[in-house]
Amino acid sequence: MSTQAPAAGTGLPAVTQYAEVAVPGAVIGLVAGAFAAGVAAIAGLPGVQVATIAAGLGIPLALLGAGYCVLLALGRFGVGAVGPVAVYWVIGFPLARLADEYAVAQVLGNDTVLREPLLSFLAFQAMLSIGFAIGFLWLHERLAPHWLVRIRGHNGVAAGLVQRYLQQVEALDRRRAAAPKRRRRTSS
Amino acid sequence: MDSSDINPDRPRGRDDRTGTETQRPHVPAQRGPDSAETGPPTPSPQPETPAKERFWKAGRLEAMPIRPLPQAPPSIHILGPTVFLVALGVGMGESYMWPRLVLVFGPDIRWLFLIGVSLQAVVMLEMSRYAMATGESIFFGAARVFKPLMWFFFITAILVYIWPGHLSAGASAFERVTGIPWQATAVAGMLLVGVVFTLAKVVYNLLENVLSICIGLLVVGTSVVAAMVGNLSDLSSTITGMFAFGYLPGEALSAAWFPVIVGSIAFAGPSGMQQMWYTLHLRDKGAGMGAHIPRIRGLRHAEEQESMPSRGFMFDTSDPEEMSKWKGWRKWVTFDAFVLFWGITMLVTISFTVLAQASARFDPGVAQVIRDGERDAALDAMAASFTAAGSPIFGTVFFCFIALIGLNATLGLFDSFSRGQADMTYFFVPGAKRFSMSKLYGFFLWGLIAFGIAILLFGPADGPAAILDILAFLSTFAMGAYCVVLLLVNNITLPKPIRPGIVSNAIIGFAAVFYLGALFYSLFAYGVVVS
Repeated sequence: MSTQAPAAGTGLPAVTQYAEVAVPGAVIGLVAGAFAAGVAAIAGLPGVQVATIAAGLGIPLALLGAGYCVLLALGRFGVGAVGPVAVYWVIGFPLARLADEYAVAQVLGNDTVLREPLLSFLAFQAMLSIGFAIGFLWLHERLAPHWLVRIRGHNGVAAGLVQRYLQQVEALDRRRAAAPKRRRRTSS
Repeated sequence: MDSSDINPDRPRGRDDRTGTETQRPHVPAQRGPDSAETGPPTPSPQPETPAKERFWKAGRLEAMPIRPLPQAPPSIHILGPTVFLVALGVGMGESYMWPRLVLVFGPDIRWLFLIGVSLQAVVMLEMSRYAMATGESIFFGAARVFKPLMWFFFITAILVYIWPGHLSAGASAFERVTGIPWQATAVAGMLLVGVVFTLAKVVYNLLENVLSICIGLLVVGTSVVAAMVGNLSDLSSTITGMFAFGYLPGEALSAAWFPVIVGSIAFAGPSGMQQMWYTLHLRDKGAGMGAHIPRIRGLRHAEEQESMPSRGFMFDTSDPEEMSKWKGWRKWVTFDAFVLFWGITMLVTISFTVLAQASARFDPGVAQVIRDGERDAALDAMAASFTAAGSPIFGTVFFCFIALIGLNATLGLFDSFSRGQADMTYFFVPGAKRFSMSKLYGFFLWGLIAFGIAILLFGPADGPAAILDILAFLSTFAMGAYCVVLLLVNNITLPKPIRPGIVSNAIIGFAAVFYLGALFYSLFAYGVVVS
């Protein structure tokens, strides 16, 4: 990746710029949620049920994925930091699953939304969310940098985020270079 | 930001000090732990006096010139060569064998899985020690100790891995979903792999990108589906079962189940020779002294292959600066072993075990089918029970995951096998050096594909029935053997300051005794090879 300074923010409205930056997270969330729906279509389920699964889980996960990107661009999350992402999905993933269960129950006309007590359900979803969070971050760090570099020419928010990725790499380099010197000073 | 090469400025010509390739200065014999491992000190580099070149003599083969060790990348990272081990390791052991044992013996049996994966994480660390210190594969290291050891692995790899049976699980799962005959999928998949790897400019970069996306999807997808079909008690029993140390029901020690349990422990994480191939991926990643070695290119770009040196390199272990960098590399690979490899493998298997437990809850008959049935019947039963859990989606999802795992394993296996055989051929088969490493890689890749297609069309996919037991034996025996080789290579051929500590040696020694002991116990006590 070039270290050349990106173009400053352009005439795009701020909302549009953040929406563009949010694309990778939204896509990952959508793919994760739509995974079951796509397979449901292959399995020959009725279109209504497929659409419910896609919307019930896909849309909340896509919104949360986009939210992660926006918070990242706003500087609320560190670049590539695992801990905050895990906390984010510990809350977000159970809520997305709850929305999904509710949507499916409504469409199918079921009286009961959950097969187990609410607290057990939320606790179970929260525990599994750690796996989801790691998978999400894994994919995001693979996809987002390419996307940000592509749009940074006309998107100031993306340019700022690219700059932060580069600064992080430089800071790590400086820290590594300084580490042996510090050790020598300490030992002398 | 591209993480495909952690040392992007590494010399592409394998050795950036021109002229040294042709120099063959006298190398004094060096043995014994206290000898100066890096030869006489040189105050400053003097290219005009090549006799000052310093070497590290390891074994009977050519000595390694001393070169600078590159700076280590940050220890906390997302991607690395571990992606290959995860892709190869998260296979049938995690998706089928262990869920099956959980259904038969209960979740408490999973403590054995914990032991198996943890042993493999330590093996991975020790494999990386030699590869990062020298830029050589573990096969080269074995040859430095005793050349027949290397030939044993060369022959074992051919015997065990040329049979295309490993494709059947993934391709059969794809057949369940799409109706396309699995042989057609397998043949098309092999041809696709061959064409893609042939066209790739640098094979490693392409493969790391593809496998990263596949594994990311696998982790995200299994989490979502487990969240849909499982419940809290499934998950908590799965996790607590990992710490039920010592739980071993009587039936587990029977002739019917002991070989299965030993095989499952051996197949927890990477099995067979997969750990040895990891050293080749480390080298192509440019990890440690691998930065001085050029990378393998696709056959179409083989002419651009830089000249391959005839051995690896060593860094100056008497220099505190270099040792500080070495510690950075050890931190980097430790993160790889315990967070990425151990953590991702655990996450995926926990999800699969939750799926299996949910399936047994929805359809209690499934446990009996899984206990008695063959692999395909058991996979069918698990998929059917997922279908019973809510809708046909779950059964299909299950097969999709198996197909994805099969794809990962096929990509990784074809590349790894070709890489390993090309490495051994290039360095140790007389006359092979007139071909470039990339051409040898292409030769083995297409040889494997051609043989695989011929066998799929005309022969037994798993190998001739008469030698199936021998192949299963060799696969597990190779694991015990590589632990012994690791002990020898790391403790004999490396300079003393970077040799493994007593704890690492004890764990690898335990692994060797465990793999070989369980294999032979199973053979002599029950007359059965592990399965």
